[in-house]
Amino acid sequence: MATILETRGLTKYFGGLYAINGVDLAIEEGELRCLIGPNGAGKSTLFKLILGSYQPSEGAILFRGDDITTLRPHLRVQRGISMKFQVPGVFLELLVEQNLRIALQRAHRGAALEQELERLLELIDLGHQRSELAANLSHGQQQWLEIAMAVALQPSMLLLDEPTAGMSPEETFKTGELVKKLNASGMTIVVIEHDMAFVRQIAKRVTVLHFGQVFDEGSLDEIVSNEDVVRIYLGKA
Amino acid sequence: MTFLVQAYAFFYQFADAFAFLVLCGLGLAIIFGMMGVINLAHGEFIMCGAYVTVLSARAGLPLPLAMACGTLAAGLVGLILEFLIIRRLYHRLFDSIVATWALSLIATQGMLIVAGPSIEGLKTPFGSFELGEYSFSVYRALLPLVALLLLGALYWLFVRTRFGIYSRATIQDADMARALGANTSRIYSQTFALGAALAGLTGALYAPTMTAVPMMGQAFIVQSFVTVVVSGADVMLGLAPAAAFLAFIQSLLTKSYGQLIGQIGLLLTVIIVVRVLPKGISGWVLQRNGDR
Amino acid sequence: MPRWLALVDGPQTLGRGPAFWSVFGMIVLAAALLPTFVNAFAVTNLTYFLVWVFMALGLSLIWGYAGILSFGQTAFFGLAGYTYGVISINLGDAGLWTWFALLLALVLPAILAIVVGYFIFYGGVRDVFVGIVTLSFTLVFETFMAQTAGPEWTIGSARLNGFNGMSNMPPLTLPWGDNPVIFDGPAFFWLVLALVVLVYLGLRILVNSRFGNVLVAIRENPDRAEMLGYNVRLYQLCVFVIGSVLAGMSGVLYTLWGSYITPSSMGLTAAALPIIWVAAGGRKDITATLLATVLLTWLSQQLAVKGSQYALIWMGVILLVVVLFAPEGLFVTAWKKLRGGRRMRQNATVPKVISSPSA
Repeated sequence: MATILETRGLTKYFGGLYAINGVDLAIEEGELRCLIGPNGAGKSTLFKLILGSYQPSEGAILFRGDDITTLRPHLRVQRGISMKFQVPGVFLELLVEQNLRIALQRAHRGAALEQELERLLELIDLGHQRSELAANLSHGQQQWLEIAMAVALQPSMLLLDEPTAGMSPEETFKTGELVKKLNASGMTIVVIEHDMAFVRQIAKRVTVLHFGQVFDEGSLDEIVSNEDVVRIYLGKA
Repeated sequence: MTFLVQAYAFFYQFADAFAFLVLCGLGLAIIFGMMGVINLAHGEFIMCGAYVTVLSARAGLPLPLAMACGTLAAGLVGLILEFLIIRRLYHRLFDSIVATWALSLIATQGMLIVAGPSIEGLKTPFGSFELGEYSFSVYRALLPLVALLLLGALYWLFVRTRFGIYSRATIQDADMARALGANTSRIYSQTFALGAALAGLTGALYAPTMTAVPMMGQAFIVQSFVTVVVSGADVMLGLAPAAAFLAFIQSLLTKSYGQLIGQIGLLLTVIIVVRVLPKGISGWVLQRNGDR
Repeated sequence: MPRWLALVDGPQTLGRGPAFWSVFGMIVLAAALLPTFVNAFAVTNLTYFLVWVFMALGLSLIWGYAGILSFGQTAFFGLAGYTYGVISINLGDAGLWTWFALLLALVLPAILAIVVGYFIFYGGVRDVFVGIVTLSFTLVFETFMAQTAGPEWTIGSARLNGFNGMSNMPPLTLPWGDNPVIFDGPAFFWLVLALVVLVYLGLRILVNSRFGNVLVAIRENPDRAEMLGYNVRLYQLCVFVIGSVLAGMSGVLYTLWGSYITPSSMGLTAAALPIIWVAAGGRKDITATLLATVLLTWLSQQLAVKGSQYALIWMGVILLVVVLFAPEGLFVTAWKKLRGGRRMRQNATVPKVISSPSA
């Protein structure tokens, strides 16, 4: 299995604070990886470094073997990385339909675009609300819209930052099924999550971050049986 | 001997420009630097202070009292405008730009209609002193000291008084301040009024040195914004260095090439600073010292 | 209908369909016929109002659609005007030289916009600082031009003339044997009208296209737009250049209209006017902007003519009222109120399907 994403000694500090401190990560192509850890462990920062919102203080990021460390975010996206942010970043003043169009129009045109648009609207159950302002959607619906936009880019690797934040248990389960379905079609997915039920629903391999460093890595069962991990984090779940 | 005179002449120019920039920038630094409101009517608060000062002094009040009137008048107008208009625009950047521009337009044109193209001015107090072949205005030589005094007073206000601390807290995080019991809308209006009053004070201080005309705000507004932008959000930290830096460049260029080139140099400097130090001098200093 | 032409109706512009376009057609026709039944003075006047439309549309594009508040429109306006003046005074009005001057007057602002835009967008200058940098830069230009009054400030045979302004540049001329066509009076009016129609339609197509969709996304959330794979800085630069060329077009046409250009057309007050028109009408829609520009320029002229000093005060008041009570602009708000009522009534008859997520 090819390694799709690799970080080497990735470090990011703000002033005196090390948000990410020497992280070596390797994600295989087609994997479904969960990233967990207490608040402040650096999970979101890691995602932002991978996407390019932040520049690392030290270290390197490789995507499919190419060094993308200094590449601008939009170029990384064009190469196949896509992210759904923790805080829904949909375009609030635009219609649901317009949001999706903007995500789709780089890769699709004409009839194919319309088809994809319908498919995505179906997927997130917003077909009847396509002409609704994104700001008027519920929080959960906004999350889904954003996932759909991230998926619309047809990425090879999808990063999801707390996709179920603020969702009801039913919505959470549905999101989990969606994630598994996308992964089954070959998309590499990395998910940051706090909801352990959700992690249990989807996870194959889990990485634990603590104080900006990789604390442990393995299957969910291995992680859960690690007493140190339980102590720093899982005890709360 | 003439070298010393020349040197003092340059220093006088520099200090004069420094004072002008500090005083211009003070009121706006509070309103824009601290509160984030882009007040394009800032020049008109200055004009208000100048006009009231001149009119009060002509009506018989001693100059310091007239200046106090000018300052208070501007502060009062600021309070009223904040209540009527500004408070609806705190999170609407573009709208506050447009609205304050409209206010500026109304104020300048209104003043033109009401008071005519100019009013008889005041004489600069304290006369002049001579060094070599130059004569300098005592009053203008003193203004830099006044500027520094004001900075010191503001420091004391914001760091050592209750109002100052509440004000800074509210500006940093209004919700939090409210949760801690601060009357945030009152604090916003008071802070805005303070900024307006400071602008009025600037107008009052410069009233004896220039003719009061309705458009006079325009002479101040550009300098005010450039100084505040170079200073960055932390007024205490950035305003004096910013003013000093810009004053130095402007004086140097004015001495060698004339006033218009001095003005151009100032503007070009701002453009470069915005590009190189986007958070201004204070932002750069704070970042270097490890604050996030 | 070719697909690109159909874009003249779309999500980013108000007004669509046969009703709208019939009205539009009638207005254009009426305007075109105007010189036949009004006097020459009225024609010249109307031309004057139309001249400003391009700059306003450019600002609407940059500010309303892309979210960039630029105070630089007047700098490009002035640059274009002076360029036309210098080139046409030097090269004369024989042959197609005046048209060459016109072309160059549009090219130079574009080049300048590329340089300034690169500095701003690729240098990471954002939000209000874009306004500050563009305003500073406009004032630099104005200040510089104002001090060119001396006779040494001459390019070829054209004196820049400082704050006195440059004048006596030739009108656009097409050679036609012994009787060259001089674009003056009605001919000039028709030229400007044709340009207005072309630019208006062209912009409608542009903002409703894929390019326009991205602009709007950038306006709403530039970081998010970048995360969708768009080269945001390049889009911003492009729209900035287009806006500048439009401002330049106003500049050239203004110079041609009055045979005169002066540094005060780049001053603080001049910089404010397009912002007033665009904000009052509705910056997010080019039709609203166009209407507001023509209306407000006409209004301020009427006020000046009636001897009222209150023209600018009224402008200020209108602006204040708009910002406080109709922040999206008068025409946009009015349109939405008219349309919104109708749409809500329609929705009431369609049952809402509420689907529950399957467990």
